[in-house]
Amino acid sequence: MAGSTQTPETPKTNGLEALLAKITGNGFKLPSNADEAKKLVTNSQVWRSVFRGGVWKNTPRDRAAHIIGNVWLHLHPVRVRPRALKITYSWGMGGISFWLFLLLTISGILLMFYYRPSPDMAYRDMKDLEFAVSYGWFWRNMHRWGAHAMVITVILHMIRVFLTGAYKSPREFNWVIGVVLLSLTLFLSFTGYLLPWDQLALWAVTVGTNMAGATPFLGNEGPFSALLNIRINNDVRFGLLGGTTVGEATLIRFYVLHCVFVPVIAGALLMLHFWRIRKDSFSAAPYSPNEEKVEVWPNLIAREYVAAALTTVAILVWTLLINAPLEEAANPTVTPNPSKAPWYFLGLQELLVYFDPWIAGVLLPNLIIVGLCAIPYIDRNPKGVGYYAWKERPFANTMFLFGVAMWFILIYIGYACRGPAWAWYWPWENWNVHKAPPPATWNIPNLVGGPMMALYFALGIGLPRLIKKELDWRVAIPTTALLSITAGLSLKIFHTLLVNKMDFIAQNIPHFGLGGFVLVSVFLFITIFFGFLMPQRYIREAPFFAIYGPTMTLALLTIGVILKMGARLGFNIKYVFSIPQVNFNI
Amino acid sequence: MAETASVTNPTSEAISRRGFLKLAWGALAAFLGGTAASTLRFLFPNVVYEPSQKFNAGPVAEYPMGISLKWMREQRVWIVRKENGLFAMWGRCTHLGCTPNWFEGEKRFRCPCHGSNFNPEGDVIAGPAPKPLWHCKIEMAANGDLIVDKAILENRPGFRENAPYFVEYKA
Amino acid sequence: MPPIIKKLFIWGNLGLVLFLIASVARDESREWKKYQKKFFELEAQELQTKLASSADEEEKHSLEKQIRAKKKAGLEVRQMIVGDLNRIDRCITCHVGMDPLSNPALETPFKENPYRGHPGDFLKTHAPNKYGCTVCHQGQGLATTVKDAHGFVKHWEEPLLKPPFIQASCAKCHANFENIPYAQTAKLGKELFTKNGCYGCHAIKGWGGIISEDLGEIASKPLSRALAGLDLSKTKLSEDQMNIQTYIMLHLTKDPMELVPGDPLGHMGDPISPSGMPPFYLELKEDEAKAIATYLMSMASEKMPHDYYVYAPPKPEPSFDSPAERGKYVYQKYGCAACHGVEAKDGHRNFNAQGPGQDPNAEDQIAQMAKGKEPNLRETAGTFTREELRVKIQNGVPSTDIVKFKADGPTPPLYMPAWKDKIKGQELEDLITYLLSIAKKGEEW
Repeated sequence: MAGSTQTPETPKTNGLEALLAKITGNGFKLPSNADEAKKLVTNSQVWRSVFRGGVWKNTPRDRAAHIIGNVWLHLHPVRVRPRALKITYSWGMGGISFWLFLLLTISGILLMFYYRPSPDMAYRDMKDLEFAVSYGWFWRNMHRWGAHAMVITVILHMIRVFLTGAYKSPREFNWVIGVVLLSLTLFLSFTGYLLPWDQLALWAVTVGTNMAGATPFLGNEGPFSALLNIRINNDVRFGLLGGTTVGEATLIRFYVLHCVFVPVIAGALLMLHFWRIRKDSFSAAPYSPNEEKVEVWPNLIAREYVAAALTTVAILVWTLLINAPLEEAANPTVTPNPSKAPWYFLGLQELLVYFDPWIAGVLLPNLIIVGLCAIPYIDRNPKGVGYYAWKERPFANTMFLFGVAMWFILIYIGYACRGPAWAWYWPWENWNVHKAPPPATWNIPNLVGGPMMALYFALGIGLPRLIKKELDWRVAIPTTALLSITAGLSLKIFHTLLVNKMDFIAQNIPHFGLGGFVLVSVFLFITIFFGFLMPQRYIREAPFFAIYGPTMTLALLTIGVILKMGARLGFNIKYVFSIPQVNFNI
Repeated sequence: MAETASVTNPTSEAISRRGFLKLAWGALAAFLGGTAASTLRFLFPNVVYEPSQKFNAGPVAEYPMGISLKWMREQRVWIVRKENGLFAMWGRCTHLGCTPNWFEGEKRFRCPCHGSNFNPEGDVIAGPAPKPLWHCKIEMAANGDLIVDKAILENRPGFRENAPYFVEYKA
Repeated sequence: MPPIIKKLFIWGNLGLVLFLIASVARDESREWKKYQKKFFELEAQELQTKLASSADEEEKHSLEKQIRAKKKAGLEVRQMIVGDLNRIDRCITCHVGMDPLSNPALETPFKENPYRGHPGDFLKTHAPNKYGCTVCHQGQGLATTVKDAHGFVKHWEEPLLKPPFIQASCAKCHANFENIPYAQTAKLGKELFTKNGCYGCHAIKGWGGIISEDLGEIASKPLSRALAGLDLSKTKLSEDQMNIQTYIMLHLTKDPMELVPGDPLGHMGDPISPSGMPPFYLELKEDEAKAIATYLMSMASEKMPHDYYVYAPPKPEPSFDSPAERGKYVYQKYGCAACHGVEAKDGHRNFNAQGPGQDPNAEDQIAQMAKGKEPNLRETAGTFTREELRVKIQNGVPSTDIVKFKADGPTPPLYMPAWKDKIKGQELEDLITYLLSIAKKGEEW
């Protein structure tokens, strides 16, 4: 070899070479060094038929061709604005969510090799994955934790898109698709939750699907269902479960939904989502002077790769350290205590404590989804597109984050503050200590509760608009705080004076201590701040039907939920307004 | 590498960085290869839910001379006892995998599918079968039980008459 | 490209490889492998000593071959599929000496677990491939780590049965377990169960009293129901004690009042009496408590295939010399002893009923209420006529008729059920005769 490298020009007579030359029909030469061998391969017809574009010379043209000519990369533009690369702008959450989707597809397909969706087999297969299958624990843990991570990243992605105003025209519909994808992510996670067929799975899904039974008209426990002759064995829940209880039929149904149906739909919507991002360009921020686009290859691709690699490392560590939970085999006659939904639905489960099931389980979640979808059509503030705009969109940002915070506080309450029998346990309290059974609840009479609610909505919608002058917050906020504290204190004083004189109070609100005072003051402050001061300052002059009305309705509903929670937690009020005949219990 | 490697070269830092980059690419390749290998391992089950290829055929003393059909239904195996010992034969025709039947009167195994005939040793007498019937690994445990393993087979004369395909036993 | 991206590229990839290697290491170092390996090493050693003392050339050759085979033996998850019982037991993955295929004799020269063979000759009559392991021993057959397989872990409710509880498994199939020499503790348990009158309150599969829970499937009671109902603040249980064996033992070795304290002073509303179960822990020795628990652990809900059952002929009613003797038997048979004591020696506790030495002004009212007692029949039976006793037994005493010690305290938990549908005819007459025969004779009146 070494000798021949010196004189590459000299034709060497070689039997093999001659034979190959004859076969290929042109002057064939055996390679004499590594570079030549490489060239021989990359110039061959076989290689060039697979990898088009010839030799990589790393010219701008090569880099562009790399993006355009590659089916896996071609959804990217060739060049992007430099701000789209910034992690502080994009958080990388959309890309990471998609990578997790792929990771879940891979691990999910592998798990399907060992999983049989039948009550006799499913639980045993889980045990096999843990104890007998090589790397069974690895793929199962990865699938489980990847799914949790994806729910988090998709939510963070939505928050980021909101904060940078990236849903504004012309991207309204892509936001709607994103909201649908978020719902599908939750539904995928939920359907997968049943498959291990242990107690955790069975009861989380039982609690979750029972909400469907409360659908108006179509659920056996929902209002007006009697009109359509809806019973336990022909309502929507029956259709979802394939039976009246979570059983064999439900397992195969959820399996198909989880492995085929929902992933296919989510995949199709993902394509649409990506296509629209590509068409609407990556960033909508106003151009800055001298801004020049940068090449996607390698700038964006490298960052995407790094994000995916680091995400995988995080999931790997999680997989190594913590095993996916597996409890006792599913038993439809024994409900674990407490029985909790998956964490991302714990907010909903907590809401179910305060309202009639169809309101908390059907109406509110649908309102949340519809409300999210409506955001780009209500928020027509043209400013703050493509960058963080705290000063230009104070109202939108504050109200959105208020909603998000409330959602996570509800989840936290359900996750950390609820113990056996759904009793309130502080996170540091031991569940083994038995709690007193909850005190009896009471209803506010409709003749009081109805007008109270009407007044709440009338004042809530009317007041901020009626005061034409902008209030000075330096006065308004201390006043509100003082008002709230005064209200709390006076209630406390009233209570002390009246508790022994009025049976009604002694019976229903025997105690009103420091907790009650703090509760009333804080909730009142929140109500006035978010329900009056914010809209009064920022949207009092907005068009009524297009913007002001819908916004205030959503805001007042959100605050109303908090107020109702306070009424129950602080004063054991079951319902503020109740028409039991049509399950209208608020 | 060799032509640029020089400790005094001012660009050595750049080179070592390139070395790291190569290391990273190598690590990626190792990761992908390792994942592929472990996935392949994942697909080979460690436990199976089918009858074990190995089975305990009971005490050796319970077998009479000749062909025993005792395990035919459960395990598809004939236990054959001769003057000097026993062997186990897999009931699977070497032509296309049907199960031959034993005809005591003719002292032959005859396959119903394409008419292959075998003698009690498993050798082909007639029909299309290309090879003799398979003998299974058979061992006698310390307590006299016969342990048959259908996963380990032999059919060559000269080999099949020896351990572990044949158990010497004289009553 | 900023250097941070390059750095992250390098570290990210190295991280991937590193944690993949860690995963491979974790998967390769499964716990069972070390036990299986050790077993073959021990076997090879054993053969080595044989080899050293062997003189026969042919035997030496064979031994050497065997040693080589042991050293090369591949490690694998071993399992027995027991289709009839719907069980898959991988216990023999570590307990290799009990693998019927690799060691048909099921005996090994080793004394220690997991290397030893199965003690006794149980496996001769219970072929491992027909019974498996967990149908008798419990534990988690599918698991392959020591902790999980023995089942003393969260979310596995049937941990290994240790002696004497293992005898419960005999009684699961052998209706005639009282005749089995290995099941004498279970037999004692059954006798004590009858003698102490447990039937008076607890039925077994429908036969017995209605005051408390039917124990017919007590061994399969879900833990979330069993332990969650107990106040364990005074009884600290470790994780591996959280099982039904402990639950039964607690009732027999602790004061039930402590386990289910109720709310006798009405802090949370209407006063609730603590557990009505009498304090049997005062009368039962540790061994006797274990015997009863062993007997009860045989009450599982699992249905065995009928050809695994060994039926026992129904026992004839015993015959007695005198009506009073027979009455004594009736007293025991229906569990009168639960409240009125073995051989009617003294009444047991009935919370907040009236009892001796109660002081309404004492500081600790709970202790005073706990002095409430069921009637001592030797003292009271004599104050009734034969006819009055008959009516009393037939109609019982509802809890509303029991005079409370503390009027605003909880209703006493124990009461006398109406026995008219159960104790009748000659049995009733003989029982009355028995009670009158042991009654302290009062003044004539």
